[in-house]
Order: sequence, then C-alpha cells, then structure tokens
Amino acid sequence: MFDLILKNITHRKLRSGLTVFGIALGIFAVIVMGSMSENFNLTFDKSISLTADKIRVMPESGFLGGGLTESTVREVKRVAGVSDAYGLLQASLDPENLGFGGGNVVIGIPPEKTQITLKDTKLTGGRYLVTGDGYRAVVGSSIAREFKLKVGDELEIKSKKVQRAASITHTRNFTVVGIMEYTGSFFDSGVIVPLDRAQKFYELGNGVTMILAVPEPNTDPEDLSKRIELNVEKVKTFSPEQLRKQIEQALIIFSLVTISAAALAAIIGGLSVTNTMLMSVSERTKEFGLMKALGAETKDILFMTVGEAALMGVIGGIIGIAGGAALVYYMNSNFAVVLFVITPRLLAIAMSFATLLGIVSGTYPAYRAAKMSPMEALRYE
Amino acid sequence: MNESEPVLRVRNLSKTYMQGKIPVHALTDVSFDVKKGEFISIVGPSGSGKSTLLSMMGLLDKPTSGSVFIDGMEVTKVKEGDAPKIRREKIGFVFQRFNLIPTLTALENVDIAMRFARVSKHIRKERAIELLAQMGLGGRMKHKPSELSGGEQQRVAIARAMANHPAIILADEPTGEVDTKTRDMIVALLKELCEKGQTILVVTHDMDVAEKTLRRITMRDGRIASDTQQ
Repeated sequence: MFDLILKNITHRKLRSGLTVFGIALGIFAVIVMGSMSENFNLTFDKSISLTADKIRVMPESGFLGGGLTESTVREVKRVAGVSDAYGLLQASLDPENLGFGGGNVVIGIPPEKTQITLKDTKLTGGRYLVTGDGYRAVVGSSIAREFKLKVGDELEIKSKKVQRAASITHTRNFTVVGIMEYTGSFFDSGVIVPLDRAQKFYELGNGVTMILAVPEPNTDPEDLSKRIELNVEKVKTFSPEQLRKQIEQALIIFSLVTISAAALAAIIGGLSVTNTMLMSVSERTKEFGLMKALGAETKDILFMTVGEAALMGVIGGIIGIAGGAALVYYMNSNFAVVLFVITPRLLAIAMSFATLLGIVSGTYPAYRAAKMSPMEALRYE
Repeated sequence: MNESEPVLRVRNLSKTYMQGKIPVHALTDVSFDVKKGEFISIVGPSGSGKSTLLSMMGLLDKPTSGSVFIDGMEVTKVKEGDAPKIRREKIGFVFQRFNLIPTLTALENVDIAMRFARVSKHIRKERAIELLAQMGLGGRMKHKPSELSGGEQQRVAIARAMANHPAIILADEPTGEVDTKTRDMIVALLKELCEKGQTILVVTHDMDVAEKTLRRITMRDGRIASDTQQ
C-alpha cells in the first residue's frame, strides 16, 4: 500500500509540498526553540555537577549587597563539618555591556583553590593559576573564542565604580596563561583571575561576593548548610539541593514558554494537513467508493488515508529537523556563545511529534473516507 | 458446488425507498436464476429498477426483503464487515464511467483489485499482464487512464473485474460512454469471455447490446416484465 500512498502525495505536488512545508516550519521551530531550552538545561546540569559538593554562602542582603570578607570565610571554616572554605569574587567582565544570559564574568579565586573549584576540567593550552600569580588569567572556551585569545595574549577587564552621580571606569590588562576546554557550564564564559588581584582591581579590600564551603566526608550538606546559617551572622546559604530546585523552577518556566510556542507552530502545520486531507478525500470520494466496490475493507481505506497524512508528517519532520539543525549549527559556530544543543531526546520528540501530528490530523478525513457508502460514493460527481 | 446449481439466485427481492414521506417501490418481488457461463442482459426504461437490482446483487445496497444467493451463499444476509470479502471474491464490477483510478497506470488499476484480496505481488503482476494482454492492451499497460481511449479504459475495467476470478461480472451500462464501434467491440469481448465460462450480467438500455446477449430480462415498474432466451 505504501506505493499507493506515495503516488497520492506526489500526484498533487504543490498542495502536498505546501502541507509538508507547513509541518516542516513547525518542527523547525520545535528544534530551534527546543535546542535552546536543552542547552540551558545542560549548562545548568553541568554547572551544578561542578559545584554539587559545595555549599554556597551568600550575604544575607543579596548577591550584590557585599558584606562578605575574608573574616567571614574564616568563620565559615570554623563551623563543625566544614573541611574547607574559600571566598570567590564575581564581577561582570564588561559592566557597560551586559550580554545575554548574564554575559561574561570575571571570577576571582585563590589560585590554590582553582583545581577544587573546577574539578577535572582540562586546559586546551597553557596552565592553571599558581600562588603568586599577578595579573594573570585562565579563560573559558567561549571567552577565548569571542576575543580570539591565545596563551600569552592580553585581555582587557573593566571595572565600574559608581561615585555619587558619576561612574568611573578602570581598565586593566590581564595576561592569559591558560585556556579551559569546553565544559558546557557557566565557566565557559568565565575569566579566572587570582582573588587578591581581583580584590585590588575592584577596590574591594578583602571583600568577596560568595563563599564556597566544602563539607567534610560523611557530612550531610543540607544539615551543614543550616548549621552555617546559625553559626555565621548575616549569611544565607544554598545547599546544592536548594540551588538545584531554585534554578530548576526557572528552567521549567523557560522550557514551557519555548516549547509551547514551538508546539503551537507545529499544530498550525497539523491543521494544514487536516485541511489538505479533507480536500483530497472529498476529491477522491468516487475513488474510495470504487475501492470499496472492488472489495477494499474499511481498514484498507483508513490505512491509505492515515498513512498519507502520517507520511506528510514524517517528511515535514525530517525537513524541519534538517533545517533546524542547520540553523543551530550555523548559529553555534558563528556566535561567541553556544546557545543551542540538539540532544537525541529532542530529535526523538520532534520526530514523534511530527508523525503523531500527521496521524492525528489525518484521522478525521480518513474516517470520513472509510465510512462512505460505496453506492453513494460511486454516484457522486 | 454442484455444476448445475445456478451461480446467482434472486428470490422475491423487493426494495422500497422513502422519498420524504412517500414510499417508492423501486423493486417488487423479483426472482430469477443465472447459470454458470450465461450472458444475460437486463433492460428497461430508466426508473424501471434495473440499477437498483444491480446494487442489491453487488452488495452495494441492502434489500427491504428477499434474498440474493451467489454460489449458493445468501449474500443478502452477511454482516457489513464480511461484504468486502464477498465483493472482491465473488463479484466483478464494470461501470458506465469506467471508474479507473486516474493516478494509476492500466497495470496498477488491475493490480489494485487483487491487492485488496491480499494476493501476493508476484502473482498479481503475472495475472494483470495476462489479463491486459487478453484484452488486447499488451502495449498500453504503463499508460494512465487519461492517455487511453474510452474503449481501452473499459477494457482495463473488464480486466480489473476479471482479476479475482469472480463468480459473476456485473456490468452497469458498460457501453454507455463509448461510440458504436467501440460498443460492438466491448460486447464481442464480453461474449467471448462468456464462451470461456465467465458468467456476465449486463444492465443496459441499449437494445443493440441486449440483442447480442443470449437471454434478456425486461424490467418495468420494479418488476420483471419478460424473461426471454434468444
């Protein structure tokens, strides 16, 4: 029967073509939007897994409220169950141009803690920071690509300080000593510099923006996180679990918005299949009547019409996926940040969605075709 | 089946339509037998009930009362779901407007009837080629209906009707859309098939066609007015 289905589709080239194109557009949207959402999910997962074993300690008054200093770090370290704690300083790489998704960040880390923070992230060139490094930096893969950096190059970092109504911008060149491999986490957009130099450059004294606390083995991070809040004044902690929950919620909303926009596009494509199939069925009323007179069973007619709609869905799906993948590939390789990831899961969703769309859209027209009385259909002009 | 037993038996067949609230008696108490290899025509003016009779025999419509037996089986009693099987195994249709599928070639149009009967691809092709060759269409197999003349299209339709070795071929005005020369050729072809043992029933209003059949049933006002052997 497959050859008959194919014949019917190719018989009305323009009409079938437009229908397939409608589905392809919908699936294209599913792929582009979906891969963006997948990228956010994966980045989040990898970022979490890099810091999953550590508790984040933030100032009570919020991320930018300040108030954390080296002495807070020492207090955190003294809490029972904390094996190590160290401060981090996070600032925007270019405060005048905040990019999409938070943009590039400068992360001040005590050089000896770089390995603990980044775990087994490898370098594609150069070396990690060492104690005693001056204005040196290890950059993430996206940064290296955006600024076309090689080991030994200089990278300009800006700081912006608001004083009364005016703001003063300082700039300073840091020498790139190492480039990290692609991790898929926020470290790809990070410039890692020695903490003491960052504090000096940003004129923060011994202030830090965040403290990472490493729990001792066999210590429950949830309990420890509460214990830190009780023992250290004016801090708020995020255990890995809390952090995960918080970000997950935001991601779910983001996914819902993108996926439903894409699904809407695909459903409109589905309606065009229904329309085409209804037209095609009513044009072929006599043909279906004839087939029944020749002894075709209801299931034969159903198979032919649903099959035709499903095949248009499948072809539309393949074209949509190919188009979406091409755009995603182009965007990823021509823009500084990787914004899209096409996962096997996304491909499976897109393909089954396209097929299902075809089948569902073809069901009603097929039912109409199959229910036709052969005599009435044969008399139909 | 006994050789002498009729291929088709029609018993007390009646059909009443409701036209609004008025009952229309399209067919009243029609009975007759058709033996294997008979070439029989049913004639009568329009509205005499001949097309209605054909629909009942072809399981395209249900009678109000009475029975139709094909090969000894009472086909008017079968369930809706079994009708397709009987249509494809026992009956071959030939229509006035040929009713070929426009997107398919002559070969595929014959092939499709066997497809519904779940005949294997290899046998289907062999049989379709053989039938078309028998109809004198050996060189036209790859042509679509739009590329064939009326006579050629009707010959494809006859080949299609023959495909599943039906007990009976029911032809509804098979010469209604062709010129007289083609008409004579088609009638000669049907007659030849009968001589080889195929049972054929032709519904027509064309007396020239009816005269060439060996038996003629004349219908009037839903009843058999005469049944003559020629």
